[in-house]
Amino acid sequence: MVTGTAAPMLEMRGITKYFGGLCAVSAVDLDLMPGEALAIVGDNGAGKSTLIKVLTGVFEPDEGEIRLDGKPVSIASRRDARALGIEAVYQNLGLVDTLDAPGNVFLGHELKRPVLGIPFLDNRRMAREAARVLQENVGIELPNLREPALHLSGGQRQAVAIARAIYSTDLRVLVMDEPTAALGPEETRNTLALMQRLKAQGIALIVISHNLEHVFAVADRVMVMRGGRRVGLRTTANSTKQEVLGLIVAALDEPVAA
Amino acid sequence: MSVAAPTVDGARPRQRGLPWPQRYVNVLGPLVMIVGLSLFMAVVHPPYFRISNLMIILQDASLYMVLAMGMTLVITGRGIDLSVGAIAALSAVVMAMLIKDLGVSVGIGMAAAVLVGLACGTANGLVITRLHVPDLIATLSMDLVFRGIALVLAAGVVLSQFPEPIPFLGRGRVLDIVPMPALIGLVVLAIGWILYHYTPLGRYAIAIGGDPEAAMLAGIDVRRHKIYQYMLMGGLAGLTGILLTGRLNAIQATSGMGLTLHTIAAVVVGGTSLFGGRGSMVGSLVGVLLLSMVVNALVNLRLDFFWQQVAAGVIIIASVGFYSSLQAGPGTLGRRLAGLAGRVQARA
Repeated sequence: MVTGTAAPMLEMRGITKYFGGLCAVSAVDLDLMPGEALAIVGDNGAGKSTLIKVLTGVFEPDEGEIRLDGKPVSIASRRDARALGIEAVYQNLGLVDTLDAPGNVFLGHELKRPVLGIPFLDNRRMAREAARVLQENVGIELPNLREPALHLSGGQRQAVAIARAIYSTDLRVLVMDEPTAALGPEETRNTLALMQRLKAQGIALIVISHNLEHVFAVADRVMVMRGGRRVGLRTTANSTKQEVLGLIVAALDEPVAA
Repeated sequence: MSVAAPTVDGARPRQRGLPWPQRYVNVLGPLVMIVGLSLFMAVVHPPYFRISNLMIILQDASLYMVLAMGMTLVITGRGIDLSVGAIAALSAVVMAMLIKDLGVSVGIGMAAAVLVGLACGTANGLVITRLHVPDLIATLSMDLVFRGIALVLAAGVVLSQFPEPIPFLGRGRVLDIVPMPALIGLVVLAIGWILYHYTPLGRYAIAIGGDPEAAMLAGIDVRRHKIYQYMLMGGLAGLTGILLTGRLNAIQATSGMGLTLHTIAAVVVGGTSLFGGRGSMVGSLVGVLLLSMVVNALVNLRLDFFWQQVAAGVIIIASVGFYSSLQAGPGTLGRRLAGLAGRVQARA
């Protein structure tokens, strides 16, 4: 089994998911190396989101197996996924608009400090820690940390969501769904740089994107999906946007056993 | 003309943080109204400011302070409790009957009032979270249930003449000046402020009210925390029942009819958003004081009692309209006023 190259951190084998009679994902394999960025591309309805939701515990697969560090794991809920260090960041989901950045970063696992034996929220330490994680791991400094998330820009919101993912678990796999879809050019540049920083920290990324420009800028490999199947897997260094685009729209094709 | 000035650097001038007048608009709004009212009364009716009258205002505000603490939390959590007046009455009636009819000691009677309140609040929370009845409908219906039970129990009788400390708690004066219930109300609101800012109870109310789905995804037990919020509200309504009994040293099943809406009005005037996710204990205190000052002013001006309701309604509409227009975007009245305040501040 073990090949000459490094062993994958995450393996998904033969993942199949039906919704009623509709097969959304059919026998899909996925490997992920530590510190690697894998892009998943494909048209709407290709099964990208379903596959990702299987990984993050939103859906349970009808068939297939997920292995982490070679050991089979069962991911029945988001909590399970989180416990294994698998987190997802969505463009707008997951932040409470009326809470500030530290409140969002620590939501659900607040830092506490006992006063007279009562565990009160330690807002000061949470603000400090959030600022530190945002600066050191995410590489962004918020001008006003106590501002409600409502008033943050798209890129800042994403940074807060990622800081939360980093803090809430021993983060190993970060799934990013359309990370650049709602961002301006400046923020897109920041987000791409942020992805490189996360990779450098050994965190593996799975990026769903429609933007091949960004995919080729940040991803090491591209997986193409169509009709619930994996129809191609390319190393970005040895491929071109034209080739990947061809796979997406079915101009080119290759056997499933890539 | 100069409207564009603050936004030359793009669409997001808010990133650097709001200028303080907008940040604290929930407290400043009613404070401005308090100052305006005070100036008006200073001219028209100076005896309004006698210590004795100010203490009457505090006395009147005290029950609403206690209720406003729980209501701030409940409304922040995107809920509302329309049954607090009935809970207060039911708790008070149970306490009164235990003491007067069954000869139970005062302490146990008072504890029973709070327990009845907690039980009613728990019932509210369970109906809302387990039966999936919307908060408004659930508590409106439970208001009928609680009031009905109080009427069945007390059957139209007025129970009066309670032993200390009930009258002291309801109308006593500390150092012969400060109303005891107002001190209780202030302490309750102070505790509420701590709960709101320094415990998961408040933090999760903000999260649940701001975005229930995000709160759930963050692993917060939304149902359980909604129940906690209504339990606290119920317990405070039970405490209010004790104070209500002590105020006139008498209670009947129909007591406390206007408490609920007046409390909600004060909380909303204080800037707690009916859409959830945003609230302020300090704002609620200021809202309570404003409403009590207005009511007292109307009494002092010898206006008919029923004008109080008209005034309360107008103040609520003015406040909610103001806050809504702040949210609605540029060009609206509230935005313009707040923007003006911001520019004045920036120049200073």
